[in-house]
Amino acid sequence: MRLSINGLAATVMDDLLQHFIVEAHELIQQATDDLLALERNPQATAPMDSAFRAVHTLKGSVGLFDFAPMGIALHAAEDLLGALKEKRAGIDSHVVDSLLACIGQVERWVAVIEQTGQLPLDAAEEGYRLARALRSQLDEDPAQAADSISQADLGWIDELMVQGRDPAVRRAQDRPLVAIWYTPRADCFFAGDDPMALLRSVPDLVAVRLSARDPWPPAAEIDPFSCNLRIEALSGAELDRVKAIFRFVPDQVSLHEVVGTAQEHASGMALANGGTGAAMGAAGAVGARMLRVDASRIDRLADLVGEMVIAKNALAHLAGQFEDGLDRKHLSQGLLASQAAIERLVAELHGAVMNIRMMPMRDIFRRFPRAVRDLAGQLDKVIDFSMEGEEVEADKAVVEGLFEPLLHILRNAVGHGAEPERLRLEAGKPAKTRIVLRAYRDGERVRVEVVDDGRGIDPAAIREAARKRGIAPADHVDRLSDADAIDLIFAPGFSTVSEVTDLSGRGVGMDAVRSAVERLGGQASVRSLPGHGTTIRLSLPLTIVMTKVMAVQLGRELYGIPLDGILETAFVPASRVLPVRDAEAFVWRDRTLPLVRLADLLGIPPPVEAPQRLKVVVMAAGDDLVGVAVDGFAERIDVLMRPMTGILAGMPGVMGTTLLGDGSVLMILDIPELIG
Amino acid sequence: MSVRLDGNVIILEGPCRVEDAEPLLGWLQADRGRMVDLAGAEHLHAAVLQILMALRPAIRGAAEDAFLRYWITPALMGKNPPESGPQRG
Repeated sequence: MRLSINGLAATVMDDLLQHFIVEAHELIQQATDDLLALERNPQATAPMDSAFRAVHTLKGSVGLFDFAPMGIALHAAEDLLGALKEKRAGIDSHVVDSLLACIGQVERWVAVIEQTGQLPLDAAEEGYRLARALRSQLDEDPAQAADSISQADLGWIDELMVQGRDPAVRRAQDRPLVAIWYTPRADCFFAGDDPMALLRSVPDLVAVRLSARDPWPPAAEIDPFSCNLRIEALSGAELDRVKAIFRFVPDQVSLHEVVGTAQEHASGMALANGGTGAAMGAAGAVGARMLRVDASRIDRLADLVGEMVIAKNALAHLAGQFEDGLDRKHLSQGLLASQAAIERLVAELHGAVMNIRMMPMRDIFRRFPRAVRDLAGQLDKVIDFSMEGEEVEADKAVVEGLFEPLLHILRNAVGHGAEPERLRLEAGKPAKTRIVLRAYRDGERVRVEVVDDGRGIDPAAIREAARKRGIAPADHVDRLSDADAIDLIFAPGFSTVSEVTDLSGRGVGMDAVRSAVERLGGQASVRSLPGHGTTIRLSLPLTIVMTKVMAVQLGRELYGIPLDGILETAFVPASRVLPVRDAEAFVWRDRTLPLVRLADLLGIPPPVEAPQRLKVVVMAAGDDLVGVAVDGFAERIDVLMRPMTGILAGMPGVMGTTLLGDGSVLMILDIPELIG
Repeated sequence: MSVRLDGNVIILEGPCRVEDAEPLLGWLQADRGRMVDLAGAEHLHAAVLQILMALRPAIRGAAEDAFLRYWITPALMGKNPPESGPQRG
């Protein structure tokens, strides 16, 4: 029995920990947003309150676990915010820096907890360092600091517990504690109370802190009969026993049960019981993907399931009538109606499920102001960063997949795009480099742009670098238009700036950006005007789950091509195909487009007999159009595309697969990637 | 009386009660250089304790009483545990 109970406790703690991690990420983000807003507008009330709430809540959640160093740092941050809030004084960037440093560390800790379930070894030291840094700003105004401690603040408990060198305190971490906050009334001596006698009778004390309720008056003015003490203590005894001791002074004492740190305890138990499986499972579960969903979307699903039940009942009714020998005509009418109803519901259910997966860009965008600010600080650039379209939604996988690429693009904009202030002023530009991150919906696609008004990209410099680094043959580079030359920044191994900052020195280039975006079914392009700035534009599907594809025939096989890249299908007489060196081209609507044959792309031998008329799919490949010759056009279908997994994940040119109605597998091709 | 003056030393002995606070305060106010001896103290009434906390005289002798020695005298010695975290380095 013991074993299963311990297992249960471990499971409950794991659940709690998972929720903590999700919540912590949100609160960290909230606090960061608010602090940055405060830095912009130091007098704003809303972000101040919101930041305080976020930090306060986070500190409270941390208290549930054995993460005391995090609690200490957050407690100090909360005190500082509380003092600033009281004072209503402006908050300068120095204070914001120290608060952000604390929040940033907490974020890193949460990431470690997510991985390992516990804080790193150096956390205690770091927690103290942060707390000291924060408190040093508080100390400038000690009276405020004292005021900001309310009895609801139990962070001092963490302080007492963590630093207890005393083994009794350490031991105490394994069991629930009662926190006592006792502020005797000033006239309590006259009532015959002796607060010290009460404290003495508290069983199992593990920590005590004595302080003055109000600052001590000068020696000559001390009133020996007016009690001015504040007593904080921790006891390992049960709450009821402690309560009994203070039963005559309930108005002066507040008791809190600190459900300490059972977590370590519980997982330790699981291991001790040979439950390595359970422990592993727990670690796996922590890494599981969580999705926060608007409740109304779940309600919609529930409604649809209800309607589905009604539709099913209608079908059952029909089946009953069949038994009763209803005539064929009525039956077929009924069946058709029922089928139509179910079809509609399935479509709506699918839509509703997809809807659940939709999330706003805000969820990743909100992390960028902080990142840009940090970078600008490190590189000594002055940036005016703004964002638009945070509310634009896309599939969770698309939105989350955009974080890294966008971060990299923003890094480039700050690191390479933004000029020093002096140069900007000389060029007649505003002193601050403007960087705009913008998302908008464009039909079935989401477009995300990063626009800066910095120095722009010099095509000559790109050509030079491309030649030097052997990105492309020299004569090829010379022939490129300026726009195509600039596009070389996406080429593997390209990096335009000779000085290596700690940002660009990570071996991640724009090629990684393009491939990450393309993995999501998107495209990346760049436009730049030297002296005027650069725009990186990403175009992504709203969802990578449901894809409209056009099936095309090649020999006897069917392949899928995502419809969103296809402009039209065309028949091109073989005589109109123009050989261009070792390639082919054809004229389409007064434009000359390159022609590629799908058979060549896939390395399949061409049909023995060349057709008189080519069937060509005209589609986008990057920013250009291309014609893809196939053997036949088949129908357009909506498919649930499964991304390639396992060893097939790296297979170039294939986006994913889907099952067709007859059970065969349709490979969905990534034509731009195949063309390479 | 559990509080008495011996030369320049104020000696607290046995259970110190609320009425000991006033003479203690008087002696310390008269001469802030006086030392307080806690060795024989069995209990300090809160009124007595807060005089010591407010005026912070030098303390002599470790109380035999465990509660005093463990939880109370550190606060009087200026070694209130929460103020002394482990130092970095």
